[in-house]
Amino acid sequence: MSLERKKQALFKNKYRYLSWIIGFFIFVGPFALLTRLVYFAIGNISTPDLHTICMRMPLDWVFSGRLYNLLGQPVMTGFTVSVLITALLAGPVFCGWLCPVGAVSEAFSRAVPLPKKFRFHVKDPSIARSLRFGFLTGFILVSILVGLRYTYVGGICCRYCPASVLQNLADGLFGNTLAIEYWHTGSILVLIFWLLVCGIFTFNGRGWCILFCPLGAVSGLIHAIGAKLGFYRTVKNKGTCKNCGSCSDVCPMWAIGSDIERTLCINCKECVNRCPSRAFGMVWGRLKESDPIGNESS
Amino acid sequence: MRSRTLIILAFIIMFCITIYSGVYANSLSKAEIVHFWVAVPAGNVTEPITLRGAGPPINMAPIIIDLDARGLPKNLLNPNIEAISTHWIYNLDKRPHKLGLDLLNVTFPVEWEVSADWPYDPATHTFTKPLPPGQRIPNLSIDWIFKIPAYYMDEQVIYDGGLLVFDADSGQPLTFIPIKFVRGEISSVGGTGSCH
Repeated sequence: MSLERKKQALFKNKYRYLSWIIGFFIFVGPFALLTRLVYFAIGNISTPDLHTICMRMPLDWVFSGRLYNLLGQPVMTGFTVSVLITALLAGPVFCGWLCPVGAVSEAFSRAVPLPKKFRFHVKDPSIARSLRFGFLTGFILVSILVGLRYTYVGGICCRYCPASVLQNLADGLFGNTLAIEYWHTGSILVLIFWLLVCGIFTFNGRGWCILFCPLGAVSGLIHAIGAKLGFYRTVKNKGTCKNCGSCSDVCPMWAIGSDIERTLCINCKECVNRCPSRAFGMVWGRLKESDPIGNESS
Repeated sequence: MRSRTLIILAFIIMFCITIYSGVYANSLSKAEIVHFWVAVPAGNVTEPITLRGAGPPINMAPIIIDLDARGLPKNLLNPNIEAISTHWIYNLDKRPHKLGLDLLNVTFPVEWEVSADWPYDPATHTFTKPLPPGQRIPNLSIDWIFKIPAYYMDEQVIYDGGLLVFDADSGQPLTFIPIKFVRGEISSVGGTGSCH
């Protein structure tokens, strides 16, 4: 992409990139402004950070049968449920617009001028979807085995946690150097995979989101259901599309082939803003043939 | 047909990677940032015990961490710093306790990182509000980060001490969990390696 086109893309997607910054400040410590507000409202005096509102652990608890934890950690549970309800109604906008983990890796990838040929890219959305749900199935099975106290398998939710790694990096950046002194094998692997392999060396930088995020995978499934029911979604007009490939060039989730793969799409609007023939749009409700964006795919 | 094969293959590959990462996580959880449970009063925990009270059953045991059993990336890149952690301190007694914590026999720097929805004094490592019977300290996270000097790393036993939990008002010891860092022994831990 030329510099001029990059500038245009940056301008057109400015609200999304601004939203990333907001996401960082409302979820990541030492700021964690939203969590701080919630803690203040409920009288919780502990120090909030990204780790304290982990939205993966509630999924782990559900699959491992430790449902009592959901009640014991109402803030975590509340955040996770909110993200999943939002995914049903408005698509996985948390993933695309607010999640600091995905935002940082995508921003890194977009900022590093590495040629496309050095970046891993699965161009067929069906295969990307398969990789994603292969992971989710494995994640669920690992959680079940941990719940059953099967001694050969350990929990992967906390051991490989990009939110903890990001929080530690942010703490280090804002003066708490102790946070970046201790690294365990899981956090070293996560740093390498999340930022390097799945970030910089992955096409559009959301490899971790596509391949290793259980919350993202569950949100994608829920969005697919929501889209079928007519809730907010991205649509593609096949009649207008000139097959130029611009949309798949900018899609951070590898979700666009001949159709939009709902279980991957995060309603980020990159394709909407990039398409030169305006073949993409955002819609609510069921479409009729006469609608301008008609002939909705998938 | 080829596409269908690729789709199935992609699913199986990611599934296997995920299961293997669980197996690897299991081996790491016994030697790196070991998480353990604490209940008071439990006395001197010299062998694995299970205590039952208001909450879930609490398994405790002496903690022996074999630094040689850590993962290769850890041993290569960050060998001299090890940590232990707890999210669970329960009062199983019939009366409230103001809980104080102490790490015994420490001969090198240890940093305490404590966060809890319960008043805590970092200077004395004491929770300043009595914990009622049957309750746990809510939203607790304590990491003890051991900064092991390089010259200790060749020793067979690097740390041989423990965590003492005592009543801060009376000074009476409530629970003592022995903690040992060694090189080349089988690890044994008090709880499972997962947050919360």
